[in-house]
Amino acid sequence: MKSTISIQNLTKYYGRIHAVENLSLDIPDKSVFGLLGPNGSGKTTTLGMILDVVIPSSGNYLWFGSPNKKANRQRIGSILETPCFYPYLSAANNLKIIADIKQCSYNNIDKTLALVGLYERKSDKFKTFSLGMKQRLAIASALLCDPDVLVLDEPTNGLDPQGIAEIRNIIKQIAQHGKTVLLASHLLDEVQKVCTHFGVLHHGKLIYNGKVNEVSGEEYWVEVASDNLLELEDKLKKYPHQHSVRSENEKLAVLLTEKSNIKDLSAYLYEHKIIPTHLFARRKNLEQQFLDILNQSENEYASQN
Amino acid sequence: MNTLLKIEYQKIKFYRTFWIFLGLYLLILLLVFLSVQLFLDWLAEKGEQIENIDPSKIPLLQFPDIWHNITWIAGLFKIVPAIFVIISITNEITFNTLRQNIIDGLSRRDFLISKIWLIVILSAVSTVFLFLIGLIFGLIYTPSPEFNDILLYSFFLIAHFFEVFLYLIFTFFLGLLIKRTGLTMGLLLLYTYVIEPIITFRIKTDWITGLFPVKAINNLIRFPFKKYALREIQDYVAWQDAGIALFYIILLISLIYLVLKKRDL
Repeated sequence: MKSTISIQNLTKYYGRIHAVENLSLDIPDKSVFGLLGPNGSGKTTTLGMILDVVIPSSGNYLWFGSPNKKANRQRIGSILETPCFYPYLSAANNLKIIADIKQCSYNNIDKTLALVGLYERKSDKFKTFSLGMKQRLAIASALLCDPDVLVLDEPTNGLDPQGIAEIRNIIKQIAQHGKTVLLASHLLDEVQKVCTHFGVLHHGKLIYNGKVNEVSGEEYWVEVASDNLLELEDKLKKYPHQHSVRSENEKLAVLLTEKSNIKDLSAYLYEHKIIPTHLFARRKNLEQQFLDILNQSENEYASQN
Repeated sequence: MNTLLKIEYQKIKFYRTFWIFLGLYLLILLLVFLSVQLFLDWLAEKGEQIENIDPSKIPLLQFPDIWHNITWIAGLFKIVPAIFVIISITNEITFNTLRQNIIDGLSRRDFLISKIWLIVILSAVSTVFLFLIGLIFGLIYTPSPEFNDILLYSFFLIAHFFEVFLYLIFTFFLGLLIKRTGLTMGLLLLYTYVIEPIITFRIKTDWITGLFPVKAINNLIRFPFKKYALREIQDYVAWQDAGIALFYIILLISLIYLVLKKRDL
């Protein structure tokens, strides 16, 4: 499978501090890759290096298999930490500068502003915007030139729940259009909801890299609800391929064995004339997995130093 | 239009501060030149004499002297566009837009060139303005302008362009190093008007003082007015002065490029 970016032995020292150490990583085309890690684990430094603003101490990386860094960056849309625009320019004029830098036409400006709900404010100066609006302008700037890859660093920082949901939808839409997304976050929930792949950074080292589905392992939880929860619970407990059933406010959660899956379960319920009002495959908790990985790494780290 | 020039133009087109500084600079120049003849006339009226000469008869604003005189005077006010250059450079750093520009797809070299475009625009506007002022004032104040005299000494306009250009490049370098707007302005003023003048005053030896950046910049157009006291002046741009200026242009642009290339943004 082709890689959108291939990173080899990327390293960054700040004096004696190893911000990122020997990071090697391939991000497959059309994946939604979540880069996880606690604060200060090197996520932002890594993104800074692959976006050419932080100069690596050693190592290299290749976007799209092409060494032309400037042209590559023009194909990347990015939203990093805080939105950076010219405060004295209007939203539309800020986007014009970006269109000029990325060498795409101004035609998308109005459309993109409308997409993020800023069309009415397009002539207002950036400095008059609220934090949420600034963030939405950052999204607009990232989408403006129809990028092949989206790079996001803590994109939901400082957003209200509605804003967070909007960002999630945008990421999903982008991914559905066959584009690659690289998302750095310390919010596991966020990564679990949108990502197909993820990697974990800790003390500047990549300590895990795999698919989100793989983490889920063989067994997984399925949430079920129906009009008659008592009857449902009874039937579920009689289902041969379950480890356990537990009740969670107005819902039941079933842990399935590796021999079963959500399809088999719904066929079983249908046979027993139960129509579920809710049926949801919940992947095994990424959070637990993540904490395990971190703990393991922390122990190794402690024994080395 | 050149993309980098267009990008820089987008940044200043709707930036009110830019237009205020540009307007202020041109207005100051205009007022100074308007008052020159008035001042001389006023001196004459009071019966003052400069080295036994009637001040109102001094051909300050007449062809061909006018080019040397106005370009030297204008050189005193290059601090005004320099302050705008500081604002432009340090803004890019404090707003993090330099970083964002690179992320969006500008190379560091592109950024350098786009800012050189800004400096070229400012130097060119100043030069064209002086050309118009010189032409108009010269035609007004020269009793019977000879065609051959009109553009004699107009090469000082080219010297003026490079004087402003080099000073603004020097300012760009300071702004990039210091990063903070107020601090850069303070240090630029302190260096230009206090530190370097004191050092060069102490050293006195011409060829050494001429190697200091601000002195080197100012040496492109030497003080013209001593000639009205019948003393000898340098009414041309000396090759070695031009050489030192060129050396500084190359050195400073290379240093700026190096800083941009090596710095984490």
